[in-house]
Order: sequence, then C-alpha cells, then structure tokens
Amino acid sequence: MITAGVDLGTQSVKVVILKHGQVLARSKAFSGFDPARAAEQAFGQALRQAGISSSDVLHVTATGSGMDLASNANSTVSMMSADAKAGVYLFPTARTVVDVGAEEARAVKCDDKGVMVDFVVNERCAAGAGTFIEAMARALEVKLEEMGPLSLKAERASSINASCVIFGESDVVSLIHRQEPKPEIARAIFDAMADRISPMMHRLGITPDVVLVGGVAKDVGFVASLKRKLGIELLIPEYPEYAGALGAALVAVNRVKKV
Amino acid sequence: MKNPSEEKKYMLDISQKEIEELRTTIRATSKKMTAEYIERMRKADKNRPEAMRYFDEIADFEKREKELLAAKESGKKVIGYMCLFAPIELILAADAIPVRVNSGWYDASKLGDRVVPVEVCPMVRSTIGAKMIGLSPYLELSDALISGLTCDGMTKLSEILSDYKPVWAMAVPRLKDSTQSLSFWREEMKTLMKQIEALTGNKITRSKLKSAIELTQRATKAFRRLQEIRKGNPVIMGRDAMLVNQAYMWDDIKRWTEKTEALCEALEERARQKSWACSPDTPRVMVTGTPMIWPDNWKVPSIIEEANPQGLLVADELCSSERLLYDPVGVDEWTMDDMLNAIAERYLMASTCPCFTSEDGNKDRVNWILNKVKEWKVNGVIYYVVRGCMLYAMEYMRVKKVLDRMSVPVYYLDTEYTREDVGPLKTRVEAFLEMLTARVDI
Repeated sequence: MITAGVDLGTQSVKVVILKHGQVLARSKAFSGFDPARAAEQAFGQALRQAGISSSDVLHVTATGSGMDLASNANSTVSMMSADAKAGVYLFPTARTVVDVGAEEARAVKCDDKGVMVDFVVNERCAAGAGTFIEAMARALEVKLEEMGPLSLKAERASSINASCVIFGESDVVSLIHRQEPKPEIARAIFDAMADRISPMMHRLGITPDVVLVGGVAKDVGFVASLKRKLGIELLIPEYPEYAGALGAALVAVNRVKKV
Repeated sequence: MKNPSEEKKYMLDISQKEIEELRTTIRATSKKMTAEYIERMRKADKNRPEAMRYFDEIADFEKREKELLAAKESGKKVIGYMCLFAPIELILAADAIPVRVNSGWYDASKLGDRVVPVEVCPMVRSTIGAKMIGLSPYLELSDALISGLTCDGMTKLSEILSDYKPVWAMAVPRLKDSTQSLSFWREEMKTLMKQIEALTGNKITRSKLKSAIELTQRATKAFRRLQEIRKGNPVIMGRDAMLVNQAYMWDDIKRWTEKTEALCEALEERARQKSWACSPDTPRVMVTGTPMIWPDNWKVPSIIEEANPQGLLVADELCSSERLLYDPVGVDEWTMDDMLNAIAERYLMASTCPCFTSEDGNKDRVNWILNKVKEWKVNGVIYYVVRGCMLYAMEYMRVKKVLDRMSVPVYYLDTEYTREDVGPLKTRVEAFLEMLTARVDI
C-alpha cells in the first residue's frame, strides 16, 4: 500500500511517500506566493523520486497551515495530530513531541499509539520560531546555517528579551553596540527562543521521551539551548522537517485501512 | 481656558468629522458582519425553529435603539451597566430600563488604544473607543452607568467613562465568604438604590420591588429551561442559544422572557420528534473565560461550530451568557429588608467572577465548571482569554489541573479583538476537536 502526506507549512511544502510503512521518497519546495502550486511541484518530485505515478498512491492526507489548499488531498489532519503520529513512529518511546517550524512552535502530548492527548501552541508571536533566527542572522550579518555552529563557540551567556521579533532585534542591536562578540549574541538568540518555548512545554507537562522535530530541530545552536533550558535529552530524527508530512502519510495509511 | 468642569480626566479630543467617519464605517462593517453571522447560524441548522427569528431581529441594535429612544421621550431613564453586579431588579423597580454596555466591536478597540496602552484588555479598550465615537446606542442612551469594581480594567474604565456620564461604582468585596462582605455589599446596594431613586425621581416601593423580582424570576425560569434543554441531544446550536442568552442584556425583559418561553416550547417539541440540530455524536464543547460580546466578538463560537470536525457548544461559563441569569433571587418573605437581602445575596454569592478569591481560591467557579461538565456531558472545554484579561488568564492553571484530574481535555485559546487571526484559531480549535473525537483513523 502506498500513501502520501503533504505538509503545507508557512515557509515550505514537504511531501513524504510511504510504502508498507517505509519512506519511499521525500521532497520539499518553497511555499512562496502560490503554496498550492508548490505542493504540486513537491508532490511530482516525490513521485519521480519514488518511481511511481500518482495513481499508485491510494490516499493523500494534507496537513499544515495551508492544508486546505492541497488540491489532490483525500483528507486532512491537524499538524498536532501529524506530529504525534510521526514522533511515535520514529521513536516508539516518545510521549511528547515538540515541533519548531518557521512561524510556530508547538508541543504535543501523545499516547503509545501516537494519538494526541493534549497540545499547546506558542502565542501569536514568531519569536519562538524559525523566522526569528533568520531575522537575527540578518542583524548579525551571518548566514542562517552558520548561526548554530557560531553560537556553540560562545564562552558565556548574555541575554536578550525575545518577547517579540522586533524587540528582539533591537536588543541584538544594543548587544552589537556594546561590542559583544558574535558567538555570544548568537547564543543569546537561541537561549531567548528556548526561554519562550520551555514555559509552554512546562504548562503542557513534559513526559519523556521528548522528540524535537520541525525545520529548527536541524539547528545545533537551538538544540543546545533547549537541552540546557529543559535539562533533558531530546530525540531528533534524521529528517526533522519532514515530521508533519510523515505523520500525515501515516494517518493516510489508517484511513485506507478503515475504508 | 476651558471650564474646569468640562476638562476631561482621560478622554482625548477628537474632531467631529473623524467621529462621524469612524462611526459610519465601523457601524457599517459591524452591520454587515452581524448579518453574515446570523445567515451562517441559519444555515448551520436546517430545521432551525421559527421562534429564533425574533432573536435574529433583536440582534440588530437599531431595533432596540428606537424603542429606548421612544421610552426616553416618554420620560423613562435608561441605566447602563458593565459587570453583572448591577442589581437589575432595583433598576426595574424604579421604572428605569437596564441595558448592558460592554463593547464587542473589534474596530473600536483600536480607538481605545489612543487613551490606554494596547496591553489593556480589548473589551475595555473597545468600550472606551465606542464611547469616543458614540458607537454603542446603549452606552449613548444611558443616563447613568453602574460599574462593579471587579477587575483592574473595569475599575479604570469606570473612571474613564465618568468623563461623560455619572458612573455609580460599586465596590465588590473580593472575599465573599467573610461575614463583613455581605453586609458591606448590602450597604453598597442601598447607596445605589438612593442614586437610582434620585435619578429617576421614582421611589422604589415594596410592591414595585416585588414585581421587579417576580419579573426576573420568571426570566430566570425561562433561561434555565433553555439551558436544561441543551443537556440532551442537540435541538439548538450553541450559537443560537448564546444569542438568546445574550439578548437579555439589551432586550425588554418581559418580552425576552415570553420569546424565550416560546422558543423552549418549540425546542421541546423538536426533541420529541428527534429532529436534531446536528449529529448527536458531535463533540460537546463548553467555553469559559473572557466574555464574548455581540456583535463582533462572535468569532470563537462560530469557529467551534463550523469547524471540521464540527463541535457543538452545549454550555458556557461566561458572564456574557450563562452567568447572566442562572441564579434566581430567592425571597422568603416579601418585606423590603428581606427582598434587598435576597438581591444582595444573589448578586454577590452566586457570582463565579474570577475577581473572587478565598482560602481555597475561586472555588465557586471551579466547582461550577465541574458541575457543568458533568451535567451537560461536556467532552472538552475551551478556555477563552483575550490578551490583557489577567484574572481569567491567571485562573487557567487552576481550572486545567482540576479538569486534568477528571480527564476532561481543556484548551487555552488566546486571542484579541481582531478578525485577522481566524486562520490560526481555526487550526487550533480543529486540532482540539480532532482530539475529542479520538477518531480511530488517526
């Protein structure tokens, strides 16, 4: 049985194709101004990669903030349920899944079958999410992918207030004016994000094992800050940004079985 | 130099031209939205009882505005109130008309930002904004306002509104269990009674007060009957019930009671015929938290009942809906003293406002929420808070802990007076409903 999951995120669209519960293909495209088209592109790419045609796919489940835009989807599922499903599939011991994406951070509590039992989403500001790192990298004149490694070189902690992206940026500027070294500032940025995300997780209740997914999970600087803040180990899959799409593809499997 | 008595303590000058422009545009937007909401409510239930039509009509403020204007011309006074601590019976007994003036207009909150910081509760900012441009017919037509000093927002709002009208502030004791509280509150009520008598020129007599109490007792009975119906399989959508409840805040009470009784009649018949408003399997949701005020602030109930999967609002614990009327004034003997005591007790002791605390916190609210969850067979609770609404926001963890122990899912939904966040709110509500349905296909 072949199924697919399409995750229409705020910044990129991700597609995962599954065959008998194994990942056959993964692909990604920038959402841009036309997320529906981006989804079609990513889907086509994934089909080619898998060497199959669209008629081979029994069921497509869409998720993500733009899920209603996926024209070829047979059903939809919330990002939170998709996260829970993927988290437990990747790590059967997972009971909490944290997803930090471009515009949103969320934490989901789940049972041993990967069914969500509770969730929280960050407040309406993107300071706890990926775009914050992008904005701050610009302020520091550092490439986005260099931010994490740079922050690990910091010798001490300095701090900024990440109540919002804009204020965060002005705090970063004050640190620059104080001639704080770049690694320290980079670390302060990740610490500030972790400061936003950890209280949210405490409100939910942190049940181990904790899995971290979403595009930001690839950033070593953020991972180090969040681990430090929570004082626990975080399980991170190989392709964390595909968790939503994977979860949707897994939900699609159950939906085929049900029919 | 301005005359000092005309000097405003808070309010800023705003040109007549701007006032008129803003009032026209905000009223037009709101009128359009109101009509849309009603249309969507009609569509949501194919066999929506004809008796709902009255409430659709009274939802248009202009209708009631005309009636109030006519009443005022005939010499009647209109008395506005903010919190539910204003004893309606005293207003009615003085032949005056009670009307609630809290604002639900989203766009007006942006105007309030000129006077108070954006961190302040949007309902307060919106009420200030509404006053700045004369947006709310009820606020404009009020000859005086009664303000219960409950939260910080309401306390300062009464000061701000006193730039325009007499505001009778009532200090609400925050510890209702202490013996002094009730006697203090009774004194507050007696002071208010004199103020009402002075404004209206009407003496509140024993027989007038008795009739007023009987009138609200009958309203409470109708109100309870409606909520009782909602315990069973769905014969009314939650938004419809909420509109009925909320209309009590501005409608003529006698007429509201008759129309609600007629609606209940129709709903009971509907239940006998098993003609359900939506599938009886629809997850049953309760909302609690910050008041949701018609016309604009109808966003969350709409999202819940139009979501995929759909939810059904079966109950709420909101001071803009089910807290309004649930408790009757219980009188033993119809003496003046006994009646006044009964009114004082009803408004203070029965309230589940989060402004209260005790050794065991705000236990009345927590217990009442638990009770509702059981009696109305609630599957999940949406805890709704607008930014800046401190008391409800802070009480969340208390409520969540208790609900967690009962394995009742609860979700904290925070928002603002804005239409722009409907997308993210919908995502959250749908994820919550998905969780409640615990669908086997996930």
